[in-house]
Amino acid sequence: MNSSPVDASASDASSMPQKRFSNLRSVRWRIDLGVLPSSPPASIDDIRRVTADTRRRYANLRRRLLIDHHSPKYGKASPDLTVDNPLSQNPGMHELLAPLVYVLHFDLDHLTQVQKLYEDFFSDEFDKISFPEGDLLSSHRIRRVKNWESGIEIENNLHKITNDHSRDELDPDTREMLLLSDSYGAEGELGVILSERFMEHDAYFMFENLMFGDQGVVSMASFFSPVAGSNSNLPPVIEASSALYYLLSIVDSSLHSHLVELEVEPQYFALRWLRVLFGREFCLDDLLVIWDELFYSSNSRYLDNDVEFNFEVLCSPRGAFIAALAVSMLLYVRSLLLATETATTCLQRLLSFPQNPDMKKLIEQAKSLQVLALESNILSSSCQTYSNKNQLTICRGYSLPSASALPKTSLNVIADRYWEEQWRVLHKDEELRKQSNGHLSSSGIMKKILTKRLSFSRTNSEPFEGNNAHALSSVRRRLFDDSSEVIEAAKDHVKSECNESPVISNNLNVGKGFPEELADQRTSNCMVEETFLSGHNALVVSTPTSPHDIGNDHENESEKSSITSNSFLGDNDEETISMEESCSQNKQDEESTNMEEPCCQNLDKQLAQVAEATSSGDVDSIPEQIAAPKDQKPFAGKFQWLWRFGRGSKEENQESKRSQNAGHIQKDGFDISQCDGTYASCGINKRIEVGDKKVMDTIRNLGQSMLEHIQVIETVFQQDKSKFDPLDNLSNNILGGKGQGTAIAALKELRKISSLLREM
Amino acid sequence: MVLVLAIGDLHIPHRAPDLPAKFKSMLVPGKIQHILCTGNLCIKEVHDYLKSLSPDLHITRGEYDEDVRYPENKTLSIGQFKLGLCHGHQIVPWGDLDSLAMLQRQLDIDILVTGHTHQFKAYKHEGGVIINPGSATGAYSSMTYDVNPSFVLMDIDGLRVVVYVYELIDGEVKVDKIDFKKTATTQSAH
Repeated sequence: MNSSPVDASASDASSMPQKRFSNLRSVRWRIDLGVLPSSPPASIDDIRRVTADTRRRYANLRRRLLIDHHSPKYGKASPDLTVDNPLSQNPGMHELLAPLVYVLHFDLDHLTQVQKLYEDFFSDEFDKISFPEGDLLSSHRIRRVKNWESGIEIENNLHKITNDHSRDELDPDTREMLLLSDSYGAEGELGVILSERFMEHDAYFMFENLMFGDQGVVSMASFFSPVAGSNSNLPPVIEASSALYYLLSIVDSSLHSHLVELEVEPQYFALRWLRVLFGREFCLDDLLVIWDELFYSSNSRYLDNDVEFNFEVLCSPRGAFIAALAVSMLLYVRSLLLATETATTCLQRLLSFPQNPDMKKLIEQAKSLQVLALESNILSSSCQTYSNKNQLTICRGYSLPSASALPKTSLNVIADRYWEEQWRVLHKDEELRKQSNGHLSSSGIMKKILTKRLSFSRTNSEPFEGNNAHALSSVRRRLFDDSSEVIEAAKDHVKSECNESPVISNNLNVGKGFPEELADQRTSNCMVEETFLSGHNALVVSTPTSPHDIGNDHENESEKSSITSNSFLGDNDEETISMEESCSQNKQDEESTNMEEPCCQNLDKQLAQVAEATSSGDVDSIPEQIAAPKDQKPFAGKFQWLWRFGRGSKEENQESKRSQNAGHIQKDGFDISQCDGTYASCGINKRIEVGDKKVMDTIRNLGQSMLEHIQVIETVFQQDKSKFDPLDNLSNNILGGKGQGTAIAALKELRKISSLLREM
Repeated sequence: MVLVLAIGDLHIPHRAPDLPAKFKSMLVPGKIQHILCTGNLCIKEVHDYLKSLSPDLHITRGEYDEDVRYPENKTLSIGQFKLGLCHGHQIVPWGDLDSLAMLQRQLDIDILVTGHTHQFKAYKHEGGVIINPGSATGAYSSMTYDVNPSFVLMDIDGLRVVVYVYELIDGEVKVDKIDFKKTATTQSAH
């Protein structure tokens, strides 16, 4: 009669292995919770014996603790009234007990029904022979796992020999139920597994095992009050809440980030979910299904003690299932949650879970997430340290709302890796920027050098004070500012590339015969320049192009060579050319003098802008310094000295090569210094360009300013042209003509460059 | 498990703008079956709010109540208990146990709920219980400024009543519990 157990189960079983006693929830749960033995071959007898034992234990317990009708049962200490009062929003432990009692009741009802149906079999008679009644089996074919069947058979044979034949014809469930409720089986009445008389005992033990986890990981009692000796200082329920957020971040980072953004801490809703194991979220029938799955997952810790893990609660399949179910619930209402704008509405939606969810889908998703949760719980050592480092940014989403501060170190959270990396990348950028900005060179030396340099160049400037472009003077005045800031900015730049200074200084000093101090100044200037020039971009051209319009053609070649020898260590040929051009432009006629001013201003501005990008220096400070030499106005700035000095040095360089009149020489001086300044600004530009976005903006600004200057220069050019013609001698006129041509060319160049820059 | 809320002396809007938020979050509609309000609400809006918490609302008149139609005393029966309600400013000396006991005997009740002193008190006296739920908003009283917001919830279960007192101390809700058991009343059989 009995089909071979394995075959039957194999053919009939669904994808999931059938559980024992699957129609008797209370028994099933008792086994899962550990009240009853769960080892597969546990016979009904064993089960009965254990049942009897538990009931005896409970009876003893009750006798000890029960004083009168209203004393607390279960040996509880005085309950925490903030949780346990009738108005408390927090669910009480009794809500965990209620479904347990319910299933006991339910099974008893079921038993009574079956008893009614199979009256004969359930009769109290012993060793009585009776024959089966008709076709009782047809409506009760339920597939079952059969590994216990042989055991059952033996039981049958032992106890109900005479009824053996009849029993065989019963379906397995009923047979089982018979045995479970048999008053004459092992342990007699006390062993009757489905017994109304001992419902209290059974309920107690189910409750106890649920609360204390049966030496497993998840113990519900810990969710209600902290358990001493836990690893972290976190209350377990808070830790479990963060565990579910962590799982959510792995599965659906956008929803997770949305919730974090709204500052919806997980425990706001998870407290209620976890403490009564979702008892308040689902109707009873659904809840029973969930608890079936939940209890089916074993509660034993599956990790070794020395394996590091993220969350305590995820160390057992049951805990993982709890977290997974919570996440799958969140995903179920995902669109609703993403639509919320405030934390309040979000919580409202979370705490009023839809009435009739698709339980199957929920549970299946939960099962798949359970596996994920178990895997993700194990931390590798590298991740551990990493997460520790970044806890500040990551843990913010998991901090407690209340005053009790969480020690961050205890919460090993690896939030979404993507966000971590983003944070790291941003942080690095920030640091880089700060580094580039914050370097302070040997300020004292720099100041000294610059002062000397600028003082030298000042002497050169005096003859030119007469040729003021009034149109530009106002501009210059506008740009007048404190020089120290500029120096600071320069220093900042200088510091970063100090190593290249010797080369530059050598170059500059060649053939110049300048006093050492000046050389130093130039060195520093060149240092600055070098710094700036060492970048990779060829964009620096903006600054130098400004003096283009000033243009003296014949100066170009010599200029180029001098410039090249001087400071270009980088591979910036474009830059060189442009610089040369600009410098050549600087070798100006009187007419170009005026051009210089805007160029200077341009340079200044650009330098300043660059400084702005790196520090909070004024835009005006640099231009002021560079523009100074041409002015009659005494500029306090030191860069002007620098500029003039540079000009002077250039003069020297060019003298031998060119046949120029004194005016030119002086202009050369201007040019050189301006070129130097140009270098500086170029360098600054380049220096900052290196991988820094701010510089892009700066460059754009530079382009913009360049354009403005071009316009200014053009107007001045026009003015000066008319002005100069009657005054200058022939040579000058020639030069002027040439200058004009070059100036126009330079202007075009400027325009091109500025457009380029603006595009950046 | 019949929940009876004893609350009073809110003095809204004169002395307090509203109930504390934590109290409001606990007082959700549908949980409480009866409300006994000692008085001094003072305005209709508060009456409406309390009505929304529970349909069975009993109020007695406090000296600042704007609705003059509330009675001075009220008695009602819940489960096995007889309850009485009075504001308490009529009983002089205010808050005096013996005088209150007089009122209790007069009304022939098991549980007397009065207010006016804005101080929570619960006495077991001569087989009965006298409860003062204090002021739910922490409004100052004629006698003191130092008032913690408090109210009382009674859980009547057969012959036993559990009195939960909710007090807001330093921003945290503290709950305390007192058990009273009524001795089976000997009724003359008729």
